[in-house]
Amino acid sequence: MRFADSSMDKHPLLTIRQLDASYGPVQVLFDIDMEVYRGEIVSIIGPNGAGKSTVIKAILNIATPCAGNITFNNREITKLPTHGVAALGIGYVPQGRIVFSNMSVEENLEMGAFLMKEHLARKVAVDKVFDQFPRLRERRRQLAGRLSGGEQQMLAIGRALMLDPTLVILDEPSLGLSPKYVDIIFEHLIALRDDGRTLLMVEQNAARALSTSDRGYALELGKNRYTGTGKELLANPAVRQMYLGGGNTLSTAPESFHENASPTACNAPTSLSPTSLSFHRTMGHTT
Amino acid sequence: MESLDILFIVQLLIAGLLAGALYALLACGLNLVFGVMRIINVAHAELMLIGAYFAYVLYTFFGLHPLISLVIVVPVLFGLGQLMQRLFIERVVGQHELSSLILTYGLSIVLMNLGLAVFSADFKSIPVLQGSIVLGEMITIPITRSTAALVAIVITLMVYLFLKKTRLGKAIRATSEHPKVAEICGIDVVRVRMLTFGLATAMAGAAGVMLSTIYSFSPETGADFILKCFAIIIIGGMGSFSGAFAGGILLGVAEALVAGFFTTQWSEMVAYALLVLVLLIRPTGLRGIAYAR
Ligand SMILES: Nc1ncnc2c1ncn2[C@@H]1O[C@H](COP(=O)(O)OP(=O)(O)OP(=O)(O)O)[C@@H](O)[C@H]1O
Ligand SMILES: [Mg+2]
Repeated sequence: MRFADSSMDKHPLLTIRQLDASYGPVQVLFDIDMEVYRGEIVSIIGPNGAGKSTVIKAILNIATPCAGNITFNNREITKLPTHGVAALGIGYVPQGRIVFSNMSVEENLEMGAFLMKEHLARKVAVDKVFDQFPRLRERRRQLAGRLSGGEQQMLAIGRALMLDPTLVILDEPSLGLSPKYVDIIFEHLIALRDDGRTLLMVEQNAARALSTSDRGYALELGKNRYTGTGKELLANPAVRQMYLGGGNTLSTAPESFHENASPTACNAPTSLSPTSLSFHRTMGHTT
Repeated sequence: MESLDILFIVQLLIAGLLAGALYALLACGLNLVFGVMRIINVAHAELMLIGAYFAYVLYTFFGLHPLISLVIVVPVLFGLGQLMQRLFIERVVGQHELSSLILTYGLSIVLMNLGLAVFSADFKSIPVLQGSIVLGEMITIPITRSTAALVAIVITLMVYLFLKKTRLGKAIRATSEHPKVAEICGIDVVRVRMLTFGLATAMAGAAGVMLSTIYSFSPETGADFILKCFAIIIIGGMGSFSGAFAGGILLGVAEALVAGFFTTQWSEMVAYALLVLVLLIRPTGLRGIAYAR
């Protein structure tokens, strides 16, 4: 199925409204607003520590927001437990291409379809993903820990596709991959969109992400800074200078995703903004 | 002379294997819990004693043979384990290690004193038939011991296959590796942890039932076992199921050999000597890539 005519949809598939989030006493997201419409590729860009991953983790309730709300398909999901999100049709590819490395490629995919209770249904779903990623089929019995980085990223994407999600959320899908695999991964992302899926991704490789995206959001210090179509953002001098210039495409170490430091309530009298405001250059929003 | 020596060694090896099978069953459960929750359950041996006393009660009041009791004890302890996870252990998952150590240590003390109050400190045992099969005139295989070992091995193997082959078993393995990613896959990790603790408790209970057929036990018997279990899971590799199995068998055999060639007192030290030895050669244990296999 295709939803190429996304402009016809009045209601966004995913809406984020006035989202605040904090880790312990440190608030990292301030009043974030975002929308994702069916059939779009939307990118979130921004420098290290801008809060990109936290936005995504809030959608999945891995990070608990302290204010604001998130709706998916007109349904409020702000407080939905993480394990309930997959069933709604949201697939997630975490930062750092995390796979179950002591399990085989096939078992990793089966885990992606954990909610399918029928063994046969899982097999069929695994086969569908193998059709998309023939490389994974060749390695089906290998331990995922033995795959190359690019193959692991394919596996992580494949796992997120197992339940045939409407929305696929990807955190830094090209981070740390060889240029060849970056190309391959982006081809796959476009193929996913052409397949009728909606994509929301975080990318450090902002130029690449924006040129692939329908729309983008640029974050800075946990706030919405700019938004627009991919082309507009690419053409915007301010965005070019802040996000596409100075070293932002450098890759960082994969973050400690499995650590237990999940954010707590927003009691946060301390926030980053007062001190860090001095960094801000005053620039208008693009439209 | 020589053949006598070899027979003697074979006899010791058999004795070691039989004892090791029970260690293995116990240690596999302990390591399963550690793998999934990063919690060391200090009360694990007390769970075993619950199984042993349960079998004792069923024998004294209803005359049930421990092998039959197994069918009752295992499911009851599976449920009890899930309940304990839900009520107590879940609260310390992801907390500082000290919290879980203190909680489970407290649990072991409570259970032990409960045992003392109800059953007294006297040693109990279940007098089941203690025959032997004699092979080739020289090698004797004690029937109850080998039955206990066989049951232990079969249960361990069944749990292993469950982890390897079934959807829920794989979810347990996935959760032990990356709980957050497992959740994203739709796995309710709280329920997985209940299942895990239930399984480990049932395994410990089964070990206790089999123990009751071959040893006499008191509420304080847990202490010897838990220390050996700690040694076993470090020897085998923390979080590794197959490592705990190998470590359990290894300890059983090593203890038997030392007891045979030296004295039983020396064999009490074997666990720790083995521990030091393995850590010197392989710091991560036998099956060690740090965590969870
Ligand atoms: N688990 C955590 N505990 C405490 N602080 C955290 C945690 N995760 C992230 N932070 C902090 O929150 C802020 C936003 O982090 P986030 O991971 O969302 O940024 P990001 O835009 O994804 O950065 P990167 O490009 O490095 O992935 C950063 O200042 C970071 O140091
Ligand atoms: Mg990030």
